Amino acid sequence: MKGNRRIWARLTDSMLFLPTVALLLMLLVDAIFRPGFFTLEFKDGHLYGNLIDILVHGSPTMILAMGMTLVIATGGVDLSVGAVMAISASVAAIMMNPTIVGMNLADPKLFINNPQYTWMPLPLVIIVPLIVATLCGLWNGVLVSYGRIQPMVATLVLMIAGRGIAQLITNAIQIIIFNDTYAFIGNGYIVFPFALYVALALFVVAWLIAWRTPIGLFVQSVGINFRSSYYSGIDEKKVKLFAYAFCGFCAGIAGLIVTSNIRTSDANQIGLNSELDAILAVVIGGTLLGAGGRFSLMGSAIGALVLQTMITSTLSFGVPASAITAVKALVVIAVVLLYAEQVKNFTRGLGNISIPGFRGRGGSTLEEVAQ
Amino acid sequence: MTNSRTIRIAAAIAVTALLAGCSASAATPPATAKTYTYKDMTVGFIQTGSESGWRAANTSSFNEDAKSKGITLKFYDSQNKIENQITAFNQFIQDPQVNVIVLAAVGTTGYDDVLKQAKAAGKVVVLEDRRIEADSSLYYTYIGSDFNAEGQKGAKAMCDLLKNSTGKKVVEIGGDQAASAAIDRAKGFREKMGDCGITVTATQSAPGWDPVQGKAIMEAYLKNSKDIQGVYAHNDELAIAAIQAIEAAGLTPGKDIQVVGFDATANGFKYLISGKLGADIECNPLLAPQVYEAALKALNGDNSVPKWVPSQEGEFFAAQGAATLQSILDTRKY
Repeated sequence: MKGNRRIWARLTDSMLFLPTVALLLMLLVDAIFRPGFFTLEFKDGHLYGNLIDILVHGSPTMILAMGMTLVIATGGVDLSVGAVMAISASVAAIMMNPTIVGMNLADPKLFINNPQYTWMPLPLVIIVPLIVATLCGLWNGVLVSYGRIQPMVATLVLMIAGRGIAQLITNAIQIIIFNDTYAFIGNGYIVFPFALYVALALFVVAWLIAWRTPIGLFVQSVGINFRSSYYSGIDEKKVKLFAYAFCGFCAGIAGLIVTSNIRTSDANQIGLNSELDAILAVVIGGTLLGAGGRFSLMGSAIGALVLQTMITSTLSFGVPASAITAVKALVVIAVVLLYAEQVKNFTRGLGNISIPGFRGRGGSTLEEVAQ
Repeated sequence: MTNSRTIRIAAAIAVTALLAGCSASAATPPATAKTYTYKDMTVGFIQTGSESGWRAANTSSFNEDAKSKGITLKFYDSQNKIENQITAFNQFIQDPQVNVIVLAAVGTTGYDDVLKQAKAAGKVVVLEDRRIEADSSLYYTYIGSDFNAEGQKGAKAMCDLLKNSTGKKVVEIGGDQAASAAIDRAKGFREKMGDCGITVTATQSAPGWDPVQGKAIMEAYLKNSKDIQGVYAHNDELAIAAIQAIEAAGLTPGKDIQVVGFDATANGFKYLISGKLGADIECNPLLAPQVYEAALKALNGDNSVPKWVPSQEGEFFAAQGAATLQSILDTRKY
């Protein structure tokens, strides 16, 4: 009995507790009201269904959330990720199809007629945008750590300027992506959607960096108190620089996936409000915004899935796409309430109530969560 | 690019210098005896944004035609936001050089105040592409497509495509709810769809014509019902997004589900040629020559121009065959 109580207390204290409960609740609503929501089919050699859609469309947010987690853990925030996504997308698109900026190709219709045509070799089309995006992140990092500018203000610069830059790159024109290989990044499947593998790989990389090198500890320590970190020999500036650069890199990848998914580079729409989604995912995941310190990459990944499940479910319910932001607001309110100290104390206290039936039910919830 | 911009800036400076003396008269209605030519025209062009290939062609039509006619063009990209368009309007009203304001409206309402101010300031206002709900005395003329007729054409095209199909259930992926193009294409379709028994089983709008949303909407449709024979998408980009979703569902667009799109851009043509897009209704984006001509007439006090000048448009079908379509595509500018 006492053991049960201790496990309950430990679970409710775990950073993964609330995001997992939120995800399960949302799926429960779908299970009750949308029969068939969980149907998975095997089509053309890949899985197909609502759950797969959640994974495909959730991948970019998940990737953004990885970088954002580290930045928020250092006590900062990066508002520019959406704009950096647009920049990365524009760079990739222009490298495949430069006719839009007035470059004359031998055969102007070549890129339409040949599904493999690309102006620059494909590896470059992927690598260059990522380098550009990382540089954008570095720029934020320099402003925050060496310039000592408030993170909110420092990244706001690129948030506003970035979309303009993206438009300049593409001459403010939407570029259609005809290359089939590039389109595979966001549309392709190897049983599961390819974008999911990218997200998983990035999660593993972020996790290894954070917990198999001292960087994770450094990030936490800088977030909790950068001055004492400095006096204990941690170069807090470089730690912040790294966090922002990594965040930029993640935004670059997310930008590539989104353009590839819709086969268009649209400097106006790509990554629009994505920074808010990423921050929301991190906050749902239990990393404290503004305070810095303790962070959970897993929590952020689950947070991203919570968001996407919410979006996919509301669309499935037939709610107008333009009303989704309103539903998101409800989620924000719920999150803020759930993380309030009073509510936390309440859930922690649930383990102490000595109604036998309730404890039994509590026990079964524990097992579900543990799975 | 930079070169042409330098030239443009230089031209703008030169025109400023020329007009410095008569900027006041440029802002008053052309009641004076002065005959305007294209060289005297400074156009403030408020474009919706860059949401599609159609829009790109529309913008470049204005750029190129202004260059060849010697018109000074001030371009404003409002990023699909009405409030940006109002800001731009105020900017152009206060700009003494600008004597013509061309508006491609993002929404259908909310322009009354700025239109009145523009009229009071003596600026000629020409609407292009998108119609708005405002008193017709507030603008000189509207040049653009009859979206309602386009919607009717879309319904007829869908009827043809579903001729041999027993089920006639169509889902709709609409453009931005505020846009006249989306409103009238939806209306026109519903006016004619009854002729062959089509029913619209689901309808959703993609805010800002965003193909990301369009794709997600189509995915949700496909999960909710297997009984879909047609997709009515309000532009090529949304149609293509739908095609991606249909393919991911293991269905064949053009066979299992028929898709109708609008605009007939090069991109749409590519999908017509491959047979994935069943029909594409043209919406002519090369409107600049007509707009500039009307604006010049307005400056010279000619009031004979009707309040609406429709543009010339066709429609294309996958059934025309790849070779024919390819040859049409090769002659097209967009």
